[in-house]
Amino acid sequence: MNAGITSYCRITNDKVIVNAQTIDVPRTDSSWLNDIYHAANISYPKFFKMDNLAKAGFLGAELTLQDVGIDKTEPKKNIAVVCCNRSSSLDDDTAYQQTIQNPADYYPSPAVFVYTLANIVTGEISIRNKIMGESAFYVMEHCNPQKFCSFVRGAFSDKTIDACLCGWTEYNNGNCDVLFLFVTRNELNDLELNIEKLYR
Amino acid sequence: MIYQISHNIISSLGFTSEDNYRAVKSGKTNLTLQDKAFSLPEPFFGSLINEELLDAEFSIINTKSIRYTKFEKAAILSVYKALLQTNIAADAPNVQFILSTTKGNVHLLENLDGFDAERVYLWKSAQLIAEFFGNKNEPIVISNASISGASAQITAKRMLEANECDYAIVVGADMLSKFVVSGFQSFKALSRELCKPYDKNRVGLNLGEAAATIIYGKTAQQLPADTIVLAAGAMANDANHISGPSRTGAGLFLAIQKTMEDIQPEEIAFINAHGTATAYNDDMESLALTSAHLNNRPINSLKAYFGHTLGAAGVLESIISSLAIIDNTILKTNNLQEQGTVAPLNTPTENQHCNEHAFLKVLSGFGGSNAALLFKKTK
Amino acid sequence: MEELITELKKEIIDVLNLEGMTPDDIDSDAPMFGDEGLALDSIDALELIVLLEKNYGIKLANAAAGKEVFKSVRTMAEYVSKNRTK
Repeated sequence: MNAGITSYCRITNDKVIVNAQTIDVPRTDSSWLNDIYHAANISYPKFFKMDNLAKAGFLGAELTLQDVGIDKTEPKKNIAVVCCNRSSSLDDDTAYQQTIQNPADYYPSPAVFVYTLANIVTGEISIRNKIMGESAFYVMEHCNPQKFCSFVRGAFSDKTIDACLCGWTEYNNGNCDVLFLFVTRNELNDLELNIEKLYR
Repeated sequence: MIYQISHNIISSLGFTSEDNYRAVKSGKTNLTLQDKAFSLPEPFFGSLINEELLDAEFSIINTKSIRYTKFEKAAILSVYKALLQTNIAADAPNVQFILSTTKGNVHLLENLDGFDAERVYLWKSAQLIAEFFGNKNEPIVISNASISGASAQITAKRMLEANECDYAIVVGADMLSKFVVSGFQSFKALSRELCKPYDKNRVGLNLGEAAATIIYGKTAQQLPADTIVLAAGAMANDANHISGPSRTGAGLFLAIQKTMEDIQPEEIAFINAHGTATAYNDDMESLALTSAHLNNRPINSLKAYFGHTLGAAGVLESIISSLAIIDNTILKTNNLQEQGTVAPLNTPTENQHCNEHAFLKVLSGFGGSNAALLFKKTK
Repeated sequence: MEELITELKKEIIDVLNLEGMTPDDIDSDAPMFGDEGLALDSIDALELIVLLEKNYGIKLANAAAGKEVFKSVRTMAEYVSKNRTK
């Protein structure tokens, strides 16, 4: 099924799939992303400080890496983190705008503002996994596997990079659309086809 | 390696690269107290592009019936002026547009002002910019906080070297708004007066508006002898904190190491660093540059001329530094009185002459991101 | 004072998204920043500055000014009761 990809995770509004296995997520009163966090048995209190985009990317990365067996405590210079999406940080931009929209209730929130930079999600993933390779965030209208693949191939043009944690990381206005992949250098050839197949 | 074919800067200091360079060389800045802009409760110190001047120039080149935002107008005008110096057909399939921006048209969230809601999407602005020039390739948008402009040039280099295109038009742009300024104010990151990069008494950064373009090609054909090439570029993450600079400079050091593989520190004329004038950024840079044995090379920051121009910064500062090395000049760091970083740096306070042929550009930003670019003069 | 301390703890849990914590879980005298206790960071400190302004009408100029105030929930409560304007 996932020939040519070490590991992947797909998260949509109602499904979580990790390496072709659907994960059972018991629903509660909390948000879908919080429910996934609990179902995956993750312990990382900082998760609850993240905006939705960072949460979605964090979960995508976390579930993708679950069985890859990388040491989260050891700094790694040979892994890159590349994310792309459609809406940039628009979900959190909208939340931040709320804190400044009304002059009578004008309290700009630093904790909300910081996530109005889309690449913060790559930072959160790098911090969690101690990944010191390059991190980059690209924006495009729709998930274009050819472009996505070009960015990942670009990351491997840095010859110190052996693997890339990459993801279509879209979250806006309650809609979650995530595909995360862990790709090694020799899996690049099939990447475009695999993204197409897994994203569908 | 890829070749700079032409470039342009649109900023408060002028609408050509040369005007901007001349202004900087003479120590000029338009950073000033902005107490009326964006109806903010608190004033800020920054530089804005004069919209009337921009409109006047834009209306001459505009051939479309579309209404553009200030952000789009500045980006389009910048690309237009860069293209004017070349014979590149921007509508050809071998030309790739790459837009570097952090916030695009985010100001429309407060008030759409008659624009379609789709205009807040960064890819939409990028499409409009590419379409203005008749280019049909899907434009690339990179949004990598403060290092966006460096990431965009690295992306251009990779695409050109992988033969994905023959020409890359890299345009970096960001405008200021209530959104952006209030956010930095909430971070207590802004100085209320002209910023003081690397100074003992630095207290924060200034913000500035700019659009800047570099057109890159794969060959030196038909280019002047002293063309600038982007010889190497790399990025690395601190893996430490989403907003606070690393306390060790490890990420920036790693990016520099990767970029400086084939060159010795003595061959570097100067390092044009990020130098935002926040306490932590400048200290972090001093540590990283020391680890890389670059602390004795001349180091400068352009932030007290332009302010931090966000998504434009990496492109704009690369252009100014390129013109400086062609001019055999090391630009001083404006408004630096008393050097005061945790590790001492060589930060000239007067413009100096240089003979070396290479310079290093470094940037660091939110998300723990760091980038280094190595530029060389071909002659 | 104890009432204000409990009120502040509730507000801190809320604005800093300290998931799963109750006021009883927070030691009023323990350091809020650093590796122990609540282990808050620089963004949390900035957010506490907003909390002081929004809920108590107290303006702090910068994060450094918050250092003493935010030592523990108790020092924060003492500062609030002395300086509050609402």
